[in-house]
Amino acid sequence: MKVSPKYYDEQFPFLGEWDMESLCGLKIREADGRTYVIVTELYQENPGTSVTYAGEKLLQQICDAKKLNPAAVTYIECNPDTNSKLSFYDEEYFKVDFNADQQHRYRRLESEDVKKILSQCGE
Amino acid sequence: MTETIKMKLIYPRWKKLPGQTTFNLPPHGPVAYAATLPEYVDIDFVDENVEELNFDDPCDIVALSTMLSTQVKRAWEIADEYHRRGKTVLAGGISAMLHAEEFVKHVDSLFLGESEGRSEQALIDWKEGKLKKVYNFMGKQPPIESVGPCRRDLYKRDLYNHKGVQMVDLFHASRGCRFSCYPCAVSYLGGRKFRPRPIDKVVEDMAAIDNNRLFIVDNSLAQDKEWEKELFRAIAPLKKKWISHTIEDDPEVLDLAAKAGAWYVYQAVYDTSDYIKERVRRYHDNGIGVEGTILLGLDNQTVDDCKRLIDFLGEIDLDLAEFTIMTPFPHTKAYDDYLRQGRIFDFDWDHYNAGQVVFKPAQMTPDELQGVYEYAWQSFYASETQESKMFRLFCNVALREMNEGTYRPRNRALANKSFGKEVDRTVKTHQNAF
Repeated sequence: MKVSPKYYDEQFPFLGEWDMESLCGLKIREADGRTYVIVTELYQENPGTSVTYAGEKLLQQICDAKKLNPAAVTYIECNPDTNSKLSFYDEEYFKVDFNADQQHRYRRLESEDVKKILSQCGE
Repeated sequence: MTETIKMKLIYPRWKKLPGQTTFNLPPHGPVAYAATLPEYVDIDFVDENVEELNFDDPCDIVALSTMLSTQVKRAWEIADEYHRRGKTVLAGGISAMLHAEEFVKHVDSLFLGESEGRSEQALIDWKEGKLKKVYNFMGKQPPIESVGPCRRDLYKRDLYNHKGVQMVDLFHASRGCRFSCYPCAVSYLGGRKFRPRPIDKVVEDMAAIDNNRLFIVDNSLAQDKEWEKELFRAIAPLKKKWISHTIEDDPEVLDLAAKAGAWYVYQAVYDTSDYIKERVRRYHDNGIGVEGTILLGLDNQTVDDCKRLIDFLGEIDLDLAEFTIMTPFPHTKAYDDYLRQGRIFDFDWDHYNAGQVVFKPAQMTPDELQGVYEYAWQSFYASETQESKMFRLFCNVALREMNEGTYRPRNRALANKSFGKEVDRTVKTHQNAF
């Protein structure tokens, strides 16, 4: 269940729950004065905490490492397609608002939405 | 000489699922932890599932060991009571790790990770008044060679006995898991790498257990075929009989497993394919029983799908079946998915028993899923009770043991006891059953 490198520009090491060494895929794009941070779950390549469980802690570490302003970041979580026959390993994107309550924190993005974001960023 | 520390080691009780045959197995976690403690610790082990906990028993320090999510709230109650009595409370174990953020609020010190070579430090710090809130070894597993025999001498053996029949002992031959299965947290807990124990250690450890029937609790033995074959060859001379999770679907491996004493396996039945049918048949062809494990409530299942799956079980000649409701335990992909989708409506950990719906299923209502679960148990055991099917499996193993000269007759002195309590011998008739 290896995640295709097409989902990320780099593998980003982070400290997950209880400072566990963890790893995610990372893509950062700029468009219209906003910064889009796309983190991708790496499943078996990630030795620690999932990107979802790490949540805001991961955003903060990315912002610290890349010198980004969290308030100017649109944060997107990606569940990559792993070519599994199991549907729950299909590709999915979620826009995350850590200021929202639990019920409204994640908004699922359609593939078209993601393509639009990436095309705005010149991809 | 170091002064003796009297430790009360407690395995908290949990509420058993209604309608199912209750068996209490001697727990593995507490005795695995106990084996890592220094000799100067005098341990009094209490398993609340089979005996009463007396808070007045003298002790210097308390340690809670938990495995299930349904134990954590009881563990916190116990910790609160001991705090009222001025005692220091330590905690660790699988569900202590899964629910660590909450757990740490209830105890004086939480141990995260595997304890081999690491448990003494907390005691030294405690004696020096420097106990840390968390001893964090998550993701830093000790060498697998350091895993030694469990302290099974701590069990009160008579309590793990049903009508004179000794329950199986739990045993582990490996840790970690290279799979990332949807509802499972083992790779988070034990690492995403399969870590087999050295075969000679496994054999030595297994041979020393005063029980001919074991449950090898490893997540899956089907992770390294060569190790698996070597393991089966090495343990065969011990003539133990054992239960395990999945075994590699390979004729040579299955043959070796059977010769090594495979009694029955837990095999996931997730669809109605010929593959599943054949998989079960291949176990049976090798004389290995099969308990199907059926997970209900996955996103691709409708009520009709579940019922078709339940009906299918009648075609594949399972020896036993265990039905569970999909449950999003923390640190699983299921938890992440349902959390993102806002589908978890119940965060009461007492309800995370895999028999109660705590999330919104994708293609049915929570009530429909609960109904399907009840239907599954009733339907599968309609013609023969769970206890009766278990008895047949038991007879199979007893016959094999008799042929091999390893059979131990049941302990007649305990014939009227079940897990420490008197057996209710009242014969139920239609008149007095209701």
